[in-house]
Amino acid sequence: MRIWNRIRFWSARARLDRDLADEIDAHRHMLVEQFEHQGMSHGEARFAAQRRFGSGLSSREQSRDEWGFRWVDAVARDLRFALRMIRRQPVLTLAAVLTVGLGVGANTAVVSVLKAVLLNPVGLRDPGRIMAATVRFDQLHMAHAPNSGVEFRELQSMTDAFSEVTATEGRAWTAEVNGEPARLVGRDVTPGFFRVFGQRPVAGRFFSSDDRDSLVLSYRFWRTQFGADLSALGRTIVLDGKPHRIIGFAPPDFQFPASAEAWAPLVVAPERMALSNRGNNMTLAVFVRLRDRITPSQAVDRVNRYVATLKAPDSADGREMAKLGYFIDLESFARFIAGDLRRPLWILWAAALVVLLTGCANVAVLLLSRVAGRKREMAIRLSLGASRFQIVRQLLIESLFLGAFGGAFGLLIAGWSISLLTRVSIPEKALLQQAALDKRLMFYGLGLALASSIAFGIAPAIQLLRENQAAAMNRSSKRKFQDLFVTAEVAAALVLVISTGLLLRSFWAIEHVRPAFDPNNVSTAYFIKPKNDPGFLDRLESRLASSPGVQSAALAYPVPFSGGGLTSMFYIKGRQRQPGEPEWHGEAYFVSPSYFEALRIALMRGRALAPSDSAGAPLVCVIDMRLAERFFPNQDPSGQEIGMYGGWARIVGVVRAIRATTLEADSRPVVYYSLAQVPFFDQAAALVRSANPGGPLIREAVRQTNGSVPIFDVRRMQDRIAESLGIRRVVFVLVSVFAAICLLLVAVGLHGLAAQVVGERTREIGVRIALGAQRRQILAQFLRGGLVAGSIGVLIGIGVSTYAQSSLSSLLYEVQPFDILTFIGASGAVMLILLFAVFWPARRAALVEPQAVLHYE
Amino acid sequence: MDNLKTPELLPGTLDMLILKTLTRAPNHGYGIAQYIQRVSEDALRIGEGSLYPALQRLLVNGWVRAEWGTSDTGRKIRIYTITPSGRKQLAAEARDYGFTIAGIARVLEAT
Repeated sequence: MRIWNRIRFWSARARLDRDLADEIDAHRHMLVEQFEHQGMSHGEARFAAQRRFGSGLSSREQSRDEWGFRWVDAVARDLRFALRMIRRQPVLTLAAVLTVGLGVGANTAVVSVLKAVLLNPVGLRDPGRIMAATVRFDQLHMAHAPNSGVEFRELQSMTDAFSEVTATEGRAWTAEVNGEPARLVGRDVTPGFFRVFGQRPVAGRFFSSDDRDSLVLSYRFWRTQFGADLSALGRTIVLDGKPHRIIGFAPPDFQFPASAEAWAPLVVAPERMALSNRGNNMTLAVFVRLRDRITPSQAVDRVNRYVATLKAPDSADGREMAKLGYFIDLESFARFIAGDLRRPLWILWAAALVVLLTGCANVAVLLLSRVAGRKREMAIRLSLGASRFQIVRQLLIESLFLGAFGGAFGLLIAGWSISLLTRVSIPEKALLQQAALDKRLMFYGLGLALASSIAFGIAPAIQLLRENQAAAMNRSSKRKFQDLFVTAEVAAALVLVISTGLLLRSFWAIEHVRPAFDPNNVSTAYFIKPKNDPGFLDRLESRLASSPGVQSAALAYPVPFSGGGLTSMFYIKGRQRQPGEPEWHGEAYFVSPSYFEALRIALMRGRALAPSDSAGAPLVCVIDMRLAERFFPNQDPSGQEIGMYGGWARIVGVVRAIRATTLEADSRPVVYYSLAQVPFFDQAAALVRSANPGGPLIREAVRQTNGSVPIFDVRRMQDRIAESLGIRRVVFVLVSVFAAICLLLVAVGLHGLAAQVVGERTREIGVRIALGAQRRQILAQFLRGGLVAGSIGVLIGIGVSTYAQSSLSSLLYEVQPFDILTFIGASGAVMLILLFAVFWPARRAALVEPQAVLHYE
Repeated sequence: MDNLKTPELLPGTLDMLILKTLTRAPNHGYGIAQYIQRVSEDALRIGEGSLYPALQRLLVNGWVRAEWGTSDTGRKIRIYTITPSGRKQLAAEARDYGFTIAGIARVLEAT
């Protein structure tokens, strides 16, 4: 009843207020009439009535308080007042909103990526229950390798630990989509796949063990190709010439792997699971779902115990496996997916947080200076009966406003930078593309903004309360606060600048590594070899070579910087491994004769591959200098024979070693085969060196040679090399941007603080100058104050950097984490900015005219 | 809101006095103030500044009703009437007040 009345009154308060004014007016008139009746003059009577009533306004105001929600009215009043204050100080508002916006925007963008990549990469309900199994051979320096059929069978038999186990194999099919040949990317999976990931079909069903040529479509593919039409169920798609029946559709948020458009059933042949095939045909990605109440570490224990029994010293197999350092590793699914991305992303998050904290400190100082300027207003309000709580509430509401605006601006920035981030071209981009600004992230961003606004709003409020207790915050404690601020800002900026410097130096070093071939003006594209078209490769190559503007053209599989060569063991005829020597591993490339010319790889000895090295001719190969120097030092390897693919191949020449996987490290020894002699693979790539853009050239040549051949992964060689820098490029660019923002904030903040200090002490300075102090002394005093606090900041920054750089080391190349040059350079730069920020206000202090100041006072 | 207090009256007693006044007859604000002053023989002077907030409080609590009317001089005025729940409230407050006063008296008269 009471609450209801209150709401009724409160909602009608505008009308009630008018009524009350009328009523009070009537009352006053009656009083006046009464006093006149008692013999006063009209003026006297009005005055007396006025006195009896007090202020009509205050009576009305108190009545208003009675209707209802006093605090709602009060807050509404505060809000209006805060908006007015904010409008009246556009520069301060803009600075605060920009600062909070940049910090929150950077943070939210990074967290969106963190969430998409690290926390829950494929939108699973319980990602913690899923683990991935990989194979490790310590002795071969092989880790994170896919499984052979044997591991799959063994894991499947551990039913005490795993409720479901699935093996999957990456696939790319040639499909006809909309009348065009297209490459469809997907995965062959055993029936347990969707159960491991806890998925239910949107429509239709998932695989059973009887399924052979059936197909489950990803939601995305179903939508883009069939408009999410249910009638697609039961239709067939021809993949690699074989009709596949569509039996179901995956839910929209399930995207694993990120690029998958469809899944087909995988049947692991029994012979692949035979014990003797351990380590052979390692192509299976295996995932397990933990049984209830089995923890991840228990599962790891279970597998380790099993592997230990395999290494029993009483069998030859066991001894061999112990010698090779064989392990099956289980890791959480998120870690498996994110892999190398984990650390860089946490680094980015920390950097974004530093930016936000710096920004908060800045705004706090801005607000503090404003509180100092508003002391009069506060004093008046206090003396008019406002409580301290009301004033603090007022200040907090003002900063909450700034925070809210900043948060909104930050979300704009976040949305914009996420769309920018997802377009970055790196190998992991399929993962990054899942980053999006969803509702929870918006809450995170806004929450962060409001939390920071409270953080920076509380400082002035505390100072205000303190000032009320003691007449003024004494100068030494104020100085302490300012010094703390300078120290913290300098330290934060320095950490970011040092990180940027280290990354910059790594990039510099990497940029100056030559891959030992000429990637300029080379374009590449992969295609799927047609099955019933003998001579296709020859016709394609000659068509490419005769295309306008083409200097040279070649075919190869694989091309450099597209995920690494085909690593394999090899043997040399008439040569035995030394006891204890690890197996010989090299990389194989299958190329057409003009490959070396097209990439400008220098021939060092013998001859290159020739058109005469064709399918029927004796198997030959060309090796690179690295292999030659290691196995045939000081001798001509020509005529020796190497066994790697398809039997013994005679070495006919030696070419220069190139970097073909990453710029940072030498590739393994390389063996080049003639593409015509080793036709094992169903895809190949075309390379052209041309003045005109090569991509369209290749596309056109392939289409004209055989219209049914799909072409994919069309990329310039230089782009491939740039992409091999991967996430490092993203981290580098973002950390640099964060460092730049942070430096800017620090410069602005320090300048603002110095200006404020000088402003407060103008009178004192004037007096001192009047008493004969040298201007030089004044200048030196202010600079010294800033520099001392700054130096402490530099020391702290160096300390923190030294500690934090260990997490950066995986991203560095040929740079020691404690790189003296970078540390000195960065410290110098930050100190310079500090000096610059403090110098102008200090100079203004030194130029104070004593007469002007004292007169003004 | 320190200045809400009516220095001449014990806190909370103003509500009671208004309700008591209205048990005689419905009345307007001016009339209520006049009546209390007259009956208390000028001992209690209602600050008009606190009369209206108190009336609003009584309205919100549902202890009085208000209707617009016209005064003898043709002025638009608001007439307050006590409601049944207002009478109950008055009884409760008067009883509490009686206890308080009796207690204070006992303390003051104790030797």
